[in-house]
Amino acid sequence: MNFLRGVMGGQQTSGAQQSGTQTIQKLCDRVASATLLDDRRDAVRALKSLSKKYRFDVATQAMDHLINVLQTDRSDSEIIGYALDTLYNIMSNDADETAESEDENQQIAPDDLGVQFSETFINQQENITLLLSLLEEFDFHVRWPGVKLLTTLLKHQGPQVQQTVLVSPMGVSRLMDLLDDSREVIRNDGLLLLQQLTKSNAAIQKIVAFENAYERLLDIITEEGSSDGGIVVEDCLLLLQNLLKYNNSNQNFFKEGSYIQRMKPWFEVGDDNSGWSAQKVTNLHLMLQLVRVLVSPVNPPGATNSCQKSMFQCGLLQQLCIILMATGVPADILTETINTVSEVIRGSQVNQDYFASVNAPSNPPRPAIVVLLMSMVNERQPFVLRCAVLYCFQCFLYKNEKGQGEIVATLLPSTIDANALSAGQLLCGGLFSTDSLSNWCAAVALAHALLDNATQKEQLLRVQLATSIGNPPVSLLQQCTNILSQGDKLIRRGSKVQTRVGLLMLLCTWLTNCPIAVTHFLHNAANVPFLTAQISENLGEEEHLVQGLCALLLGICIYYNDNSLENNTKDKLKQLIEKRIGKENFTEKLGFITKHEFYSKAAQKPQPTFSSPDHMLFDHEFTKLVKELEVVITKAIYKSSEEDKKEEEVKKSLEQHDSIVSHYKSIIREQDIKMEEFKQTIASLQSTNEQNQSTISLQLGQIQQHKDQYNLLKVQLGKDSQHHGSQNSTTQMNGFQPEDVSRLKGEVEELKRQQDILQGELSEKNVLIESLQQSQVDGQTDQMTEEIQKELETLRSQLHVQSAEINRLQAERMELLQKTETSGSLSASGDSSVNSQSNTEMEQKVAELLKEIAGLKEHLKNQSEEKSSWKQQLDTAQSTAAILQDENQKLKQEVTESKKEQDDLLVLLADQDQKIFSLKKRLKELGEPVEDEDDMESGDAGDEDDIDDDDEDDVRDEED
Amino acid sequence: MAYAYLFKYIIIGDTGVGKSCLLLQFTDKRFQPVHDLTIGVEFGARMITIDGKQIKLQIWDTAGQESFRSITRSYYRGAAGALLVYDITRRDTFNHLTTWLEDARQHSNSNMVIMLIANKSDLESRREVKKEEGEAFAREHGLIFMETSAKTASNVEEAFINTAKEIYEKIQEGVFDINNEANGIKIGPQHSTPGSPGSHLGGQQAGGGCC
Repeated sequence: MNFLRGVMGGQQTSGAQQSGTQTIQKLCDRVASATLLDDRRDAVRALKSLSKKYRFDVATQAMDHLINVLQTDRSDSEIIGYALDTLYNIMSNDADETAESEDENQQIAPDDLGVQFSETFINQQENITLLLSLLEEFDFHVRWPGVKLLTTLLKHQGPQVQQTVLVSPMGVSRLMDLLDDSREVIRNDGLLLLQQLTKSNAAIQKIVAFENAYERLLDIITEEGSSDGGIVVEDCLLLLQNLLKYNNSNQNFFKEGSYIQRMKPWFEVGDDNSGWSAQKVTNLHLMLQLVRVLVSPVNPPGATNSCQKSMFQCGLLQQLCIILMATGVPADILTETINTVSEVIRGSQVNQDYFASVNAPSNPPRPAIVVLLMSMVNERQPFVLRCAVLYCFQCFLYKNEKGQGEIVATLLPSTIDANALSAGQLLCGGLFSTDSLSNWCAAVALAHALLDNATQKEQLLRVQLATSIGNPPVSLLQQCTNILSQGDKLIRRGSKVQTRVGLLMLLCTWLTNCPIAVTHFLHNAANVPFLTAQISENLGEEEHLVQGLCALLLGICIYYNDNSLENNTKDKLKQLIEKRIGKENFTEKLGFITKHEFYSKAAQKPQPTFSSPDHMLFDHEFTKLVKELEVVITKAIYKSSEEDKKEEEVKKSLEQHDSIVSHYKSIIREQDIKMEEFKQTIASLQSTNEQNQSTISLQLGQIQQHKDQYNLLKVQLGKDSQHHGSQNSTTQMNGFQPEDVSRLKGEVEELKRQQDILQGELSEKNVLIESLQQSQVDGQTDQMTEEIQKELETLRSQLHVQSAEINRLQAERMELLQKTETSGSLSASGDSSVNSQSNTEMEQKVAELLKEIAGLKEHLKNQSEEKSSWKQQLDTAQSTAAILQDENQKLKQEVTESKKEQDDLLVLLADQDQKIFSLKKRLKELGEPVEDEDDMESGDAGDEDDIDDDDEDDVRDEED
Repeated sequence: MAYAYLFKYIIIGDTGVGKSCLLLQFTDKRFQPVHDLTIGVEFGARMITIDGKQIKLQIWDTAGQESFRSITRSYYRGAAGALLVYDITRRDTFNHLTTWLEDARQHSNSNMVIMLIANKSDLESRREVKKEEGEAFAREHGLIFMETSAKTASNVEEAFINTAKEIYEKIQEGVFDINNEANGIKIGPQHSTPGSPGSHLGGQQAGGGCC
């Protein structure tokens, strides 16, 4: 500290400069050579304290050392802070430099010094990179001077520093982080830094926007109290303006990010307006300007239009209109609000319609347009405000045929409302007032109601004015020309040029592209002589513009002349120019318009801005009109009458062509309409197709469901058939799968086979029963067998019927299978209507089949029951047959037994016969007479033998 | 307009591969055949729906020329998704992918979803890079792959939407820190989901952002 005191002390004594330089030299040496950090730090601190007073010396001698410190002593934030502070003092021009009055280098302006030193510093690009990396240091003593230093560098050497920041990978985002710094000083100085950084560098502007700048800045503005906030709000708004102005990409991002909606609350300023501080006025001014940046007429039309839309949708326009109609708003805020509203509605039909509906909160309520026009034609209102109202009116009418019609209508006899003050009345009043500014504004405003609108040009011809009591009414057109030609009288009113320029612009706009208006104008015999007189006279420079405009008006009278007036045909007017003015002279005078000093300024942008009321001469739209007309009028003047005729012919043929073209156009339009219709039908067809396809898929799903159900049924039926016996199974099946069918076929075959076996068995049994029948003694068995036979017969026939039915069902199934297949393929091909029909048919059939199947099942069940009963009967029959056989056996046994007895008897008989015969012989020998009876008996016995033999044979047969 | 999430994308790749055309096709549904060199970076936006949620995509279309490389690098860090585009009719644009990828990985946050886009698939006759090669490259570097045509609009929607889906899934998984807007993700003003994973602070954030 002693050392420092010594330095300061030495400085205050005489020869301060000398010792200062030496001290700085010493300090620099110390910074360079000291091994102890503390020493170096003290030296830098001393340099810092000298840097304001001995700015030049410190800069020239110490800069390299300071940069070296920044590179090597990064670990000590204190010394870095001193170094940065020193550098800032060297670069900055804000510092108090009165102390340097005796400086030997005082001839170098201080502004240049800062720029020079900055250049020296940034010559080494690494220095900026170094500075950027130092900004990452959180320590206040480093970050704050760092921010200030970089801001100063940007101020002095913007483009180079910007370029370096741009190429360092995290450069911009690091600087953006400053906005999040909790220390307000750094955040606020960060804002200033970003302002400098984003100046006219679109690439950086975009990156800053990408790094969420809108979000952060809007948050800060809200935190600070919007328009009631301090200078920080102003800085935020300036930065936002930097980001958005002329940067379409950023504007688009702003709109897409829904940030326009967040602007609306800015304009919710209370009506009481207790205080309008200077800061609040500045803030609101910048806010309004920010709105204008987004809807500026120089932006691409699409971009402006979408911003206008969202400004209406979020209520921002409505909010602005409230300010517009509020009382106590400072004039310049009101003016800027009017300009802002103008650009928000310009060319946007919805917004224009809304604006037309806005009413001032007066009693009775008046339309805002009327209130504004009152200000425009009021001499006591500020000039800029009157210009703003004119701009607003122009923007309201821009590309707004409806609005144009409404304004003109307020002047027409049929719609005029005598009680209320109308826009038209105000305009007429302005047109013929004694204030030339009002004359000009009213004329231009009226001209805008006619721009590109042939209907309104013709309508306005109908307007009649009652000039004074007793005189007949005069047409508006006539009154305009009257005032023009009475120019002498106007001299007394001051700036007569302004009035005449205004009226001439109105007339030129009116007559352009409107032959009827030209005819009306030429009908007044005084007009043409007046114009030719004006053009041909050799007047002073201040009259040049009026002369030019007169030439333009005369040219329009020629160019848009339909030759309906014999005295004023194209040819005659041209001859007049040639004789009275001369073609060269005429075109020279015509050229006065575009050569006028204010012409090009007005041509630049739509907003009427004039440095002083006297300069209010050109209207933007009118300059466009002049550009178009100057060429065609010059051509028209130089053309000979023959050429004119040719032209006429060409025109006619062109008209023909036009009609042909319009014919084709109409055809094209029709075709367009048809195409549109076709497109619609295609669209509807497509949608129905889609619907159909969805129903198809739905139905396919249903079919699948049905299939699944069938399969389920099949499985169930398969189980059933196991219970019911194999005969039934086939008929119950109703599957669609071919393998099922084949399986069914197999089952049917099996059935048939079984049937055959059964039949075989039956026939066998038949034979048996027949044979039994034959041998039957018992009649009952015979009957039984017959019955059984019958029953079997019926069973057989039933079986036949059943097999026939099975066959039929099989055939049906095949059919169904085919149908499902075809329907499946159909549905795949997408012919939905047919498919759905067939589907329903199918479904019906399926249902029928299901029913039939159920019926058949029932039937089969019955039959199988019957069959089983038959079987039982058959069994009983068989058992009876067996019983019968047994009996038969018994009978046979009895027969054989009786046969044996018979044989025995026969043997006995034969023995007795023998005995009888021998006894007869003896009797005969004995002489006893023998009766014939014995012969008879023997004869009988022989017969009996024969019978027995027969019986024996039968039994034998039976036994065989 | 209300949205649940906002994702920031960048489109990168060599000059003339069709980056601007992809964006134009996605945002305006039209194709601009004339090559209009992008200066620096251009912005575009569109709303999409994923999983029934409105998602706003903000897309920065970068200039492919080398001279703009340093500018475009500034956009990597703040992006949640990147479309890396090459031209299937120009092999060199495919060969440069490694450089682009290195650049992107170096400057972006590690969770950035990168989709590899093989553009101009309509020019099959002039194809120089096979689809398989693109797929292989994507597989090797862990990218999603898609062949598109900005001219015919084929797969253009899908490219942007699939990238968004990937990001959305990562959010659901809690990979992304949605509270840090520097990641290129923002929660919509009306969207406060205290239940969704990793967003227990998200509700507060959303509340702060809506006023």
